[in-house]
Amino acid sequence: MAKTEKYQNRIELLQGTLDMLILEALRWGSMHGYGIAQGIRFKSDEVLQVETGSLYPALHRLERQGWVKSKWGQTESNQRAKFYEITKKGKEHHSAEQERWQRMVQAIGAVMGTARTAE
Amino acid sequence: MRFWPKDWFSWERKKDDLRAELEAHLRIAAEEQVARGESPEEAREAAMREMGNSALVADVTRGKWGWQWMEHLAQDVRYALRQLIKSPGYAAALVATLTLGLGSVIAMLAIVDSVLVRPMALPHPDKLVLIYAEGQEGTTASRYSLSFEQTEQMSKSVEAFASIASYNTLIKPTRAADGTRIGLTVATTPQLFALLGARAEMGRLIHASDAGAPVAVVNDAFWRERLHADPKAIGTGIAIAGKMETLIGVLPKGFSFPQGNSEPVAYVPVSLNAKGEDAIEIELTTGTVLARVKDEVSIQQARQQAQAFFANANPDAAAKHKVLRVLPYRDFVTGDVQKPLWALLGAVGVLLLIACANAANLQIGRAASRMDEMKIRSALGASFARLTQQLLAESLIVSFAGAALGGGIAWIAIALVRKGYGDQFARFDELAVHPAAIAGGVLLAVAVGIAATLAPMFSVRRQTRAQGVGAGTRTTTRTGRLPGILVSLQVALTCVLLATCGLFARTFHALEEVKLGFDPHGITTLVLMPEDQHQNAEVSREIDARLLKRIEGLPGVEAVTMQSSLPFSSFDVSMNGTTDVKGRAWQQGDQAWYSLVSTDFVRTSGIRLMRGRGLAPQDETGSGLITVLVNEAFAQKYFAGRDPIGAWIKFHRDHGDKDTDIPFLQSMNIVGVVENELQGGDLGAPYQPMVYMDYLQLPKESFLGEVFSMSTQLAVRSSLNKDVLARELRAAVKQEAPQMAEMSLARMDEAIANSLNQRRLALRLAGGFGAVALVLSSVGIYGVLAYAVTLRRKEIGVRMALGASRQRVTGLVMRQAGAMVLFGLVPGVAGAWAAGHAVRSFLFGVRVLDPATLVGATAVLLLVSIVAALVPALRAAMVNPIEALRFE
Repeated sequence: MAKTEKYQNRIELLQGTLDMLILEALRWGSMHGYGIAQGIRFKSDEVLQVETGSLYPALHRLERQGWVKSKWGQTESNQRAKFYEITKKGKEHHSAEQERWQRMVQAIGAVMGTARTAE
Repeated sequence: MRFWPKDWFSWERKKDDLRAELEAHLRIAAEEQVARGESPEEAREAAMREMGNSALVADVTRGKWGWQWMEHLAQDVRYALRQLIKSPGYAAALVATLTLGLGSVIAMLAIVDSVLVRPMALPHPDKLVLIYAEGQEGTTASRYSLSFEQTEQMSKSVEAFASIASYNTLIKPTRAADGTRIGLTVATTPQLFALLGARAEMGRLIHASDAGAPVAVVNDAFWRERLHADPKAIGTGIAIAGKMETLIGVLPKGFSFPQGNSEPVAYVPVSLNAKGEDAIEIELTTGTVLARVKDEVSIQQARQQAQAFFANANPDAAAKHKVLRVLPYRDFVTGDVQKPLWALLGAVGVLLLIACANAANLQIGRAASRMDEMKIRSALGASFARLTQQLLAESLIVSFAGAALGGGIAWIAIALVRKGYGDQFARFDELAVHPAAIAGGVLLAVAVGIAATLAPMFSVRRQTRAQGVGAGTRTTTRTGRLPGILVSLQVALTCVLLATCGLFARTFHALEEVKLGFDPHGITTLVLMPEDQHQNAEVSREIDARLLKRIEGLPGVEAVTMQSSLPFSSFDVSMNGTTDVKGRAWQQGDQAWYSLVSTDFVRTSGIRLMRGRGLAPQDETGSGLITVLVNEAFAQKYFAGRDPIGAWIKFHRDHGDKDTDIPFLQSMNIVGVVENELQGGDLGAPYQPMVYMDYLQLPKESFLGEVFSMSTQLAVRSSLNKDVLARELRAAVKQEAPQMAEMSLARMDEAIANSLNQRRLALRLAGGFGAVALVLSSVGIYGVLAYAVTLRRKEIGVRMALGASRQRVTGLVMRQAGAMVLFGLVPGVAGAWAAGHAVRSFLFGVRVLDPATLVGATAVLLLVSIVAALVPALRAAMVNPIEALRFE
């Protein structure tokens, strides 16, 4: 019981960002869970490793919120997998989120830049 | 709400889907590793390592769907069911205990709901009151009657009442589509239906303008049974007591007035003539008065206003010590059964407590034997709350099972009671287990489930906090004090129930032994009523005389008498009259009941003549001299010590009374004293002073002639077979009195047996509850001791190894049992005394604290306890010390 709670806390920390990353990854087309994780990993130059234990809860939460939808399909290598696709509502949410994120990065960058010069 | 699992199936499919999705993830990941040159096994392992605990991933993901608590609940339920199936003995004992407890409560709730709550299904029943005057003297037809005149004045002057109606329930020959039958007729002032809040199903109800008009309204039963549910019945005629009435309306199904009645009823409006008398029923000047209190006025205020008005408006009322009473209508309707039912409900409440104590004890024992499991789960991280939830789920499942089975048993019991007693008690034919009773049962089941978990949770909490796995059970030799206390409580409660049953049984026995004062065997009663309600009193008298003579001459008939106050007859007509005894100053409360009989009264009824002589034919021809018999109670009250024979009595005349207010002015001469005879239909009722008068001697001008000619009541003593006699009597009536309709023809001894039915039912119910309580507490004693013996096996083994004899070991267990039972008996006896006090109004011929009953109840309880304790005690003696100590 206690173990599960700790596990969930780690997802909570990542939540906002992970959702955004997943939606970003899905902007270019539908993809299965593993592909999403790999996509984020490649684009971040192997810096961001999305754990499976965080990925699927996040995907299912996004689906519940109506930002993505899923259906079973075939991979290029003919494997059956569940593919996620961003919805119209998801796209709207994503662009709003992206703007917010940009502002935050700028703000944090500004703060951190000042801090470095002051050093 | 997209993720709301539509049903269990779709939830399971979703779970499978997630499992497949995670499995696909592993496959794709492994495939990529293989593509990079790793072996398939290594690749798969690496992928699984990366994913971690896939079950946990799935669990957390499912958590995002919402509704996970439902899954937890389902898990708990599944787990609980598995646990219960694993120990069927325990589960069966628990379910059986709760079934008995909850079943009894649901059955009793259903009875209370059907008989006390449901009949009041009228708009705002709490504002309906019954108004009557108490302490009335003179001639009254019913305790509840008020004169029409007073009612009329009150409705004009007392502001607290929104409306007032006065009615009389009469039994009349009624002619409808199915011929002439005797039926209930309610003669009412026109306000009644508006006051009750009734609406017509067909046609219209009686309006104010209908007062005295030849119209009638009938209830649904009348319309169905007697008018063949004719949709065009409105406007047709029905004849009530020979008078044609036009049908103007039919009441809806479910409307029941007088309350609880489901027979066909016709309602006719009465009008009050100038004298304040009902123009139709000249013999009736009074009626039962019903009023609706205004919304903003309390019943208390209404009572004060009405009493103030009554005291002012009736200067002579004070002189006659009359007090106006205002009674909530509910109490009037349910009054006679209300108290016994609440008492029985209390009894089943006690029964449920006993069952709860049993359930708690079983669960404590169970929790103790599962302590290892609890400790392991707690060590693995299960929180106390989660453990509680699990135990609670188990307990609630058992409770619900108990409630469901109990509900089934209640349903059967109710059906049996309805079948057996439906036609005997008012409203018992409507008995049913309504949703309200079931809801009550379910609520109780939840409460019981929670309550029964509390005690075991207590010990789980203590133990899981205390020591390591396995340590507890090995060293425990005692189960703590709680189980013993619970058993003592059970014993106490059972003692209360048993003692109360004993009191009821003694009451019943005493009632069966009541001296009737007459010999009921071989007596058949016949009640007739003239079809023409306005039949001249003189004509009635002639018919009666002819009929008596004819029946007397029938072969096989030993004797016949008229007796207007036939015991156990529902048509009993006797009159309460204020009485003056010559040579004694009249005092407040000097009154007697007057009954009309014929010459052969003493011989027919078998009543014992204590002094003087019986009535003789020659008295009848005497000139104006009225001879009467009185009973012992009369002689005792008015002639304490003196000889009543030859004394004179007459009706008392108050100041301002006119001649016509008195039944008759002539004096009556007492010629004989007879034994007290039972009056009315209640064996437990006290004897009242009684005057028996020959019907032929009743002065012709007396209005009593009209009252008594409303019906003719005959008692026939004969050794003839029941059916033969009935045939003979009916043939005689047909020939001699074709204008009379038969109201009832019954054997007296059967009527007496029937009169005990209500008490017999109460006794059976209470006895049943007592037996169930006895079973439950013996199971409780057995369970606690058996469990204690299991826990103490090693201790017993050590004792025996050290030289304790088998008798000593048996004694050890019996002593434990004895302590529990004795601790219970002390409060039990006190409780029995309190319970006896609470039910004292139902008791007859037995004292509240009856030593014999208490000793009996205690003895039964002790005996059953000993039997229950003996099995575990003997098992303790069978303990083999070598086997018991093998693992030490």
